[in-house]
Amino acid sequence: MSLIFRLAGQRGASQFLKNNAGLINCVRPVTIKASKVTLPAEEGHDERNMKLKRPQSPHLTIYKPQLTAILSISHRATGMVLAAYTVGLGLAGIVAPEAVPNYIDCLHDVSPTIVQFIKFSLAFPMCYHFWNGIRHLIWDTGKFLTISGVYNTGYLMLLITFLSAGYLTFV
Amino acid sequence: MLVFRTCRGAFGQVRSFHVATASTAAAAQAKEKPVRNKTFAIYRWNPDKPDEKPHLQEYNVDLNSCGPMVLDALIKIKNEMDPTLTFRRSCREGICGSCAMNISGVNTLACICKIDASSSATKIYPLPHMYVVKDLVPDMNNFYKQYKSIEPWLQRDDDNVKKTTEHLQSVGDRQKLDGLYECILCACCSTSCPSYWWNGDKYLGPAVLMQAYRWIIDSRDEATTKRLDKMRDPFSAFRCHTIMNCTKTCPKGLNPGRAIAEIKKMLGGVAKKDEPQLRTAH
Repeated sequence: MSLIFRLAGQRGASQFLKNNAGLINCVRPVTIKASKVTLPAEEGHDERNMKLKRPQSPHLTIYKPQLTAILSISHRATGMVLAAYTVGLGLAGIVAPEAVPNYIDCLHDVSPTIVQFIKFSLAFPMCYHFWNGIRHLIWDTGKFLTISGVYNTGYLMLLITFLSAGYLTFV
Repeated sequence: MLVFRTCRGAFGQVRSFHVATASTAAAAQAKEKPVRNKTFAIYRWNPDKPDEKPHLQEYNVDLNSCGPMVLDALIKIKNEMDPTLTFRRSCREGICGSCAMNISGVNTLACICKIDASSSATKIYPLPHMYVVKDLVPDMNNFYKQYKSIEPWLQRDDDNVKKTTEHLQSVGDRQKLDGLYECILCACCSTSCPSYWWNGDKYLGPAVLMQAYRWIIDSRDEATTKRLDKMRDPFSAFRCHTIMNCTKTCPKGLNPGRAIAEIKKMLGGVAKKDEPQLRTAH
């Protein structure tokens, strides 16, 4: 190996460095030995970044409110409200000292505006979650999953929701 | 020869005439046009001073001496006002995906996002919910690691056998890849997805899932079952709640949301990969 290098060096030097004989002495044989790479210990993505004190870029607070995300988070919110109604009113029905129809009878004396408000707040989450749930089921079949599809079904769902919630409120 | 000389003469004249009008027009424009100042509020954080909180820094740019895109403004700020401003950029034409950032609340590529000429300040943040390396540069390691995890290459049962023929694919089968292969992995969609914000460690995110789908439905790929089995858990694919921020934000106009829906259909057993229309002899 070293012989090859030395010969190559001499030939190369004699060709290109004829005028500077001193440089030939600089060519020295080198042998390269391969050694195994030791991989550094795997460090978690979060651990590494936290160690470097890197901040998290802002997200929810700076992202533009869009119909896509707003309808999605309201679906969750109405679901939670419905769950709260079911559990809360169910428990109230058990715990309350009198039977439920008695309380409904009490509503006769309350002003109709308040009754309508109560009816709407019961009806709206139900209608929203129901119709948007159907929208999600249609999406799960792979249909209407374009931006125009998402927006058109979104507006249509809102229209149907308010119509049906209005119907349940005033009729 | 004579014709050539005459032509050259004529062209030369036209050229000099054109140059003359252009230069006078430019001079007149410079005189007439008032300064159109636009404020950019840009997210800053310096890793050399890690204890200083990130903040927005405002820069005023005269739009009359600036290119039309947000990236032009960023480069102008870096060149002429503040060389410490840090951001990634490369191709300046929407094909490399380097300059992905959050501009006016929406993730997009700075190089193909027109400057909004209205008087209000344009806010520029790095891609949302990412660790910040410096200013507008996010740490993309987790994203790339997830991309690697879906093994984005062609896999065949006969991979160990030496082949002498190409893999055949019909025109129809090739068309199934349209709208998938164009993805430039800029991560705009993944970092616009609230699910990815909260579960970015285990949920693969729209960009990676769309590439997973690109290989799942490739008629030449034979690792479909393996690819799907890898995603049969509550997080990898099923953290997608069809919010569709991904499709809304994609600067290339692609549809990751639909690709994920197709993956879910295959995982649920509702859809199956079609048989390849052309087979390569093993």
